[in-house]
Amino acid sequence: MSVKMEASAGKLSENTLMIYGIVVALVGTYLTYLNAVTGIAVFSFFGGIGAIAALWWGSDTIKHLCSYGLGTGVPSAGMVAFGAGAIAMIAGTKFGLASPIVTLVLAAIIGAVIGYCANNIINMNIPVMIFSLMKLSIVGALTMLGFAAMCTGTFMFNGLVIGGMTLSMEPAEAAAGGAQTFMVTVLPEFASSLIGGAALTVIFFLGAIALQHPFNACLGPNESQDRTLMLAIEVGFLSMFVVAVMSYAFLDIISATVGVVVSLIGWVYSYKQYIALSKRDAYAWLDAKPIIEVGGNE
Amino acid sequence: MEEIVLGIGITALAGAFATVAGAAEDTESDIGSQGDPNSQVQLAPQMGYIHRIFNKAISGEPPAYGAWCAIGAGVAWALMRINFNPALAIILGSVIAVFVQGVYCTSGYLGRTASLAKFQQPVYIDIIKSLLSVTMAHAFVAIFCTVAMCHLMATALHHPFALPLLGLVWGIALGAAGSATGNPFYGKERQYQNQKFGAGVPISASGNIVRYAEAGQRSSLDNGWFTTKFAGPASGICFGLIVFLELWRTVLFEKTVAGWGAIIVGVILILIFTFIDRWIEVWGRKTYGPYTAAEEASS
Amino acid sequence: MSALGGAAAGGEGINPTGTLVGIVILLVSIAATYALGFSIIPLIGIIIGGALVGFGVHFVPVGGAPAAMGQAPGIATGVAMLAAGAGLAGLFGGAWAFEATGDFAIAVAGGAVGGGLMMSITCMMVNATYVFAMGIPAASGKVAKDPITGDTFPEYKSQGTEGHGLPFISFFGGVIGGIVTGLGGTLIYLALLGIYETGLPVIMQAETAAIQPLAISLAGIFAIGFFLVNAVLAAYNITGTIEGPHDPKFKRVPRAIIGCAVASAFCGLISMLIVLNTGM
Repeated sequence: MSVKMEASAGKLSENTLMIYGIVVALVGTYLTYLNAVTGIAVFSFFGGIGAIAALWWGSDTIKHLCSYGLGTGVPSAGMVAFGAGAIAMIAGTKFGLASPIVTLVLAAIIGAVIGYCANNIINMNIPVMIFSLMKLSIVGALTMLGFAAMCTGTFMFNGLVIGGMTLSMEPAEAAAGGAQTFMVTVLPEFASSLIGGAALTVIFFLGAIALQHPFNACLGPNESQDRTLMLAIEVGFLSMFVVAVMSYAFLDIISATVGVVVSLIGWVYSYKQYIALSKRDAYAWLDAKPIIEVGGNE
Repeated sequence: MEEIVLGIGITALAGAFATVAGAAEDTESDIGSQGDPNSQVQLAPQMGYIHRIFNKAISGEPPAYGAWCAIGAGVAWALMRINFNPALAIILGSVIAVFVQGVYCTSGYLGRTASLAKFQQPVYIDIIKSLLSVTMAHAFVAIFCTVAMCHLMATALHHPFALPLLGLVWGIALGAAGSATGNPFYGKERQYQNQKFGAGVPISASGNIVRYAEAGQRSSLDNGWFTTKFAGPASGICFGLIVFLELWRTVLFEKTVAGWGAIIVGVILILIFTFIDRWIEVWGRKTYGPYTAAEEASS
Repeated sequence: MSALGGAAAGGEGINPTGTLVGIVILLVSIAATYALGFSIIPLIGIIIGGALVGFGVHFVPVGGAPAAMGQAPGIATGVAMLAAGAGLAGLFGGAWAFEATGDFAIAVAGGAVGGGLMMSITCMMVNATYVFAMGIPAASGKVAKDPITGDTFPEYKSQGTEGHGLPFISFFGGVIGGIVTGLGGTLIYLALLGIYETGLPVIMQAETAAIQPLAISLAGIFAIGFFLVNAVLAAYNITGTIEGPHDPKFKRVPRAIIGCAVASAFCGLISMLIVLNTGM
């Protein structure tokens, strides 16, 4: 009935991928802090690079989890990863400069609890379940944090929830000379921010689809690790492109354009590589040719 | 009063948008072969049936359309925030969402097909060239209508959710309605047209999908041609009814019976649909009769 | 959605140690919430809401890939996402009702009715497709007789299949599932909204009216996150497909309720950290 799920043994071990993924994701997210240091926002795109690294690692983790046959397909694992990751990420941004680290820790704990529920309470008895859901939650949280940092230029809570400032003027009591004075207060505006406008849901689902897609798309007996990972980079840059377009709402034109250009260059390169790898792995690459009969009974 | 009249007008417009979106969504997913019926397109080469059907291995329709509509709504929201005209913003948002959708389609086809090399299924690159524009066009209609509908809900009907959140909620509902209604028609009726009408596909026949057309070889475009006759409009009616009735009961009856009016109307609607469903079920049983008494009972 | 069949390794029955540890996690979460100075009422709301989502998913008749070929009864899509479609449609209705009336009971009932309406229309259209377009009557594969209507199924099951379509018991299950998941989703949303409406103005030093959109969006995003986590956990419990409340798999429901309650309790605790004053 179904395609046999085989996790191809690749050149890169899962632990190597995990180390690269976590380190690049954290470094990328922290590099967006250069925005605050230098006062210009052109460093925002590093957040997107970090998010791609997390997705790249996550697509390999999801492969190992799903090779056990969960009964619900690959996409649901992506959904649970980002559902847990979203909770960890929003709570984690409260911790100022330590936010990326706290997000990672919170995501690991949430993932472990959900994994425990799935494995021991729901009784799935899959050996890698707890660890895999821990890793996937971290992937979800770091991806969302990276993309959010890219979109707004900061990974701190206030930057994500305050969209702008409005001035409010209220007449104060008349001064001694009879001149009218005004009390000017600066009011933060919440509805136009990334979280206040719920634009974070876009990042949520961009990431959830991008996380499950590489393995889901490359599934089959001839799945190969380098092709799957290249697809992960490709969908990562594609997601980054959407985030870059959305960042026009938060960043200055130059910084947002830098994000668009970087993501498009990365996407074109990785897409070409992916097509080349598909061509390598395909049985044949035909253009407008008829069906080749191999012996199926009519 | 004026507010209610406006509300009814918006409700009708949103329902119309939803109907078009549902029909376009299902046709797109049938031409692209997305969701559960695609398991058979996957399976066929393993059984020795090489085919030329699109194999769009993205996730199921609800998460996929949730993502596309959220992207469309999110980009539109971001552009409106920097003072783009709403119409232009929604169109640009939908264009970007369709671009993403198209790229996912190609990578899904290439990935799955390349991974089936063991079963000698080649990659027919002309399938992508000829069908991608068709699926993207249908997806554009679906995404644009859904995002426009969400914009109406947010601005004219004052729903508290922001536009991207509405896009996600209704995108998932769109995919759920479209896949539930449309999948059996594409999966059983079209892919297994060679099997008996009026009966499920025997499990032993799995994988033996129809690969040849009246003349030449079946392309996924033929599947779209077939499914638009029933599955597309039916999905449209399904999603249109969901959106229209959900808005209608709230707009008209929210203020009646101390706020409980909308809920009472909703319960009545559920009961009405329950009776219709029971009538359909009984009609099917009576008209077609049991299988064991008469083998060819259905025609 | 499940192009990949394959049985999960999960066994039947309840794992006593796991359940005990789970309940300890749940109680610790409640205690920690109390210790941090929050009211525990919203957390209880979140726990009940999460358990309801997990419970409701079990009612939704989903057949997966075989249903698309008329090989198995149910709706031909993935269980977690179909439930999400219904639950989020309910959330839409509930949030709107709360905005308009401000009444908790009306909002929760509105969410339930919204989910039920979505599922009743969808299930009706599924049966219309099977009967009018494909000429296939509904038949269950798991039971010989419909527990509600008393219809018999074996002779209506076509050769070589496990049944097809949505028998009335499955339709009924679908509507109940929509109602319960819509109720659960709205309950989670309202609990979170309550926390943020009171907590955010204090830590952000802003007026309640100005913070309202942020509170709604935060609660909405979190509600979707909670919803997906609970729906997928429940989907794991039924390994992808179920026919409805008459399916033998329905007996597994207690462990899903416990699992979802534990996961919701812990995630609820984390989601409250946002309104904790960390001084940063």
